Amino acid sequence: MSRLLAFLITALVTVLLAAPTFAQSPTTSVVQTDNVKAELLADVSTVKPGEPFWVALRQTIRPKWHTYWKNPGESGLPTEISWTLPPGAKADPIVWPTPILFEIGGITNYGFKDEATLLVRVTPPADLAGPLKLAADANWLVCEDVCIPEEGKFELTLPSGPTAMPAAPATRTLFEQARHEVPTESPWPARYGVDKTGNPTLQVDAKGLKPDTIGNVYFFPAEWGPVATMAKQAAVIDVAGIRIPLKRGDAKTPLPPLLAGTLVLTEKTGDGTVKQAFDISAKLDPTVATAAVGVTSLAGAVGSEELSLVQALFFALLGGLILNLMPCVFPVLAMKAAAFARLAGHDRAEMRRDGLAYTGGVLVSFAVMAAVVIAIRGAVGDVSWGFQFQSPVFSLLIAYLFFVIGLNLSGVFEVGSRLAGVGQGLTARGGTTGAFFTGVLAVIVATPCTAPFMAAALGFALTQPAPATVAVLLAMGLGLALPYLALALTPALQRLMPRPGAWMDRLRQFLAFPMYASAVWMIWVLTQQTGADGVLYALGGMVLIAFAIWLLRFGSQASAGTWLRRGLAAIAVLLAFAVTLKLEDSPATAASATGDAKGGVNFEGWERFSRARMAEAVAAGRPVFVDFTAAWCITCLVNERVALETPASRKAFEQAGVVKLKGDWTNRDAEISAVLKELGRAGVPVYLYWAPGAEKPKILPQVLTEAMILSELEQAKR
Amino acid sequence: MSNLVVPRRSLLVGTAALAVAPATAFATNSPDLGKPAPGFTVVDSNGKSWSLTDLKGKVVVLETTNHDCPYVRKHYNARNMQTQQREAAAKGVVWLTLASSATGEQGYVTAQQANDLTRSRDAQPAAVLLDPKSQVARAYGATVTPHMYIIDANGMLVYKGGIDSIPSADVADIPKAKQYVRIGLDEVLTGKPVTDASTRPYGCTLKYPRTST
Repeated sequence: MSRLLAFLITALVTVLLAAPTFAQSPTTSVVQTDNVKAELLADVSTVKPGEPFWVALRQTIRPKWHTYWKNPGESGLPTEISWTLPPGAKADPIVWPTPILFEIGGITNYGFKDEATLLVRVTPPADLAGPLKLAADANWLVCEDVCIPEEGKFELTLPSGPTAMPAAPATRTLFEQARHEVPTESPWPARYGVDKTGNPTLQVDAKGLKPDTIGNVYFFPAEWGPVATMAKQAAVIDVAGIRIPLKRGDAKTPLPPLLAGTLVLTEKTGDGTVKQAFDISAKLDPTVATAAVGVTSLAGAVGSEELSLVQALFFALLGGLILNLMPCVFPVLAMKAAAFARLAGHDRAEMRRDGLAYTGGVLVSFAVMAAVVIAIRGAVGDVSWGFQFQSPVFSLLIAYLFFVIGLNLSGVFEVGSRLAGVGQGLTARGGTTGAFFTGVLAVIVATPCTAPFMAAALGFALTQPAPATVAVLLAMGLGLALPYLALALTPALQRLMPRPGAWMDRLRQFLAFPMYASAVWMIWVLTQQTGADGVLYALGGMVLIAFAIWLLRFGSQASAGTWLRRGLAAIAVLLAFAVTLKLEDSPATAASATGDAKGGVNFEGWERFSRARMAEAVAAGRPVFVDFTAAWCITCLVNERVALETPASRKAFEQAGVVKLKGDWTNRDAEISAVLKELGRAGVPVYLYWAPGAEKPKILPQVLTEAMILSELEQAKR
Repeated sequence: MSNLVVPRRSLLVGTAALAVAPATAFATNSPDLGKPAPGFTVVDSNGKSWSLTDLKGKVVVLETTNHDCPYVRKHYNARNMQTQQREAAAKGVVWLTLASSATGEQGYVTAQQANDLTRSRDAQPAAVLLDPKSQVARAYGATVTPHMYIIDANGMLVYKGGIDSIPSADVADIPKAKQYVRIGLDEVLTGKPVTDASTRPYGCTLKYPRTST
């Protein structure tokens, strides 16, 4: 009996003694309010003095209720944590998970539903003796329809020791998940500019993306003020990257030199859709918006998902009208105006015919363009259709064209002489045919001048079914032809035209200067693509062209001298064009490109994939990791940053003696395509891991984490 | 956007004028500073009609309210709002409290309730305007309660934003905060431009009529 009593007393005492430990388990502290269960956790169970570790405030939010991000949007307030720490300890600012956008009664907010884990890095004092006591006062606003400010007091006491000990596996998993929710640092540079109305446009220089694989693009500005909270953003994705027209926020302060925020998007990969989030810090760069004033509004409109075809047509028409204001179209219009002035007083029917023929020329050219777009779409994937806009050869030829038109306007040579090209020759013909080809010329000249603009428009057109593509492009053509057509069909307007006279020549000569300026601009573009050598080639080519023109100006008699000059001129022109070959060879070109080194596929530490090399390494019994990637694949880039190229992963790869192979699918590669097909995949990323001596590779998930890689390699060791 | 059937949409446009694109409407409708403040004609809790055009020559303050909102309560419980209303009245400023919560939503009040609240809170606005369709709030792009506006004697909007500079629900923050409206009013009354003319509004989401029903 007494034994039993003794046992009961011992048990009771044990429970009583143990109770405080249970009540205040060292690595967690929980507060339950009406709408949120909040928990403070640490990723270590024992801290090492001076060595930083992470704590998390984990909110489990009542269904349909929300807490807020660091920028809460149009209303709401972010969660705040104030720390009480022993002297010498330090808590960094909150590292926020990627927010979501939600709307309540038309008010747009940024925040979290269901669950949010806010991470904070804590550094214990270097001279810490005994346990580390952390106290946190947190307050948060939680809203459904109504808002309730709540708060909680948390306390963690962590023992210290000579080495830090990780927390329990379940807690570690929570931290792992939380880190996964934090945006990654952007792999691309970003800039932003401001248009005349003060609205910013964000440009993320993610070159070579495939517009049709990327969706749900949204930029969360990091703070209230510079950028308005928008329910929708009409992002445009093209070969130059991602452009998001934004609205100026309410802050009256000047726009900051750096615009910070989080960019989210989804990417369709071979195996589903992956959500990505990037921290962006965009430099204020005036060239962003000025280069795209007309573009932004139009492209913004056409990029919008819910745009109806009617709206698209309207904006295309408007875009066509705007083309008339582009400097490169001026000369054509001047030619047209001059011709028109001459026609003034003539038969009205003739004028009408002239106007209609010009319109016809423009429309036919746009129709051809539409056909090309559709044809390329049929083959998309094999070629990056936007390639021509990034090609230095294209830039160079356009620079030449501007230069030659400039020379023509300056009166160095005359249109219609034997020098002129076929197009100009045809336009010089009188009557209806001439008018038709002036229309064609207008399109040819307008198109390059507005390459970025056309890229956006074509980008949109590409995503549409064929009839819509044709309709949109034709609407744009109609817009381009409209002013002239209106003039031709309306006698009242014709009377407003000034009489022909000496002013026409002066105007023409003046218009040469915008052409030279455009040529200068194109050469600048060229240098961006090829470096300083581009200037040498382009200007050299121009000298050769000017020389050829000068040679050909002398006489037209078929004398030996004339033939010699013609021969020399031909050689000069050939040389000028031969320069393009030189450019094509230049490594900076990277035709399908993708752009800057940061965004390209990086082979450092990796071997180039080939089936033979893989087979050889596998046969040798070595572990093999294969990364099928592409410069335009965002998910691939992210995986590299967060999982494959972290110091821990690199070390683990090295220790395990893994043969690392990388297959670059940026340009279609028959061998890689065949492998992907065998694996049943339509695209990248695909990751294969052959454990040593394995018969079959393991296909890893599309979204990698460092922990995944480490555990895979760990297993291989055993 | 599944309810894009035309008759319904036009019906919604006709009745509520917000069904189509409520949020973008806010962003664009947020009125510009230095421009004429959006006009309104609204009945107050005593049945009197107030029109902005009639108030030319006077400085006007607009305060959106929702008496159950913790941020509104913060400033009323600490008597910050009432004190500023009295100061304003003493300087000849017309302070209009806007009860803009939609019918049935938190903060919606009848005329009687509005008057009871004024009495119980010892408030002293020139009037409490009843805006149960949130029309005035929408015209001003109000997103929260309290969202504050100052209109100068020429009818120009000269201030929009928060009541003060510390966005919190904690009464203890009021003495530490910069009282933007008080400072702005002083500047307007002495003919100076308002220094902090657009600040971050904070508070509860303004309870606009539901779009989904």
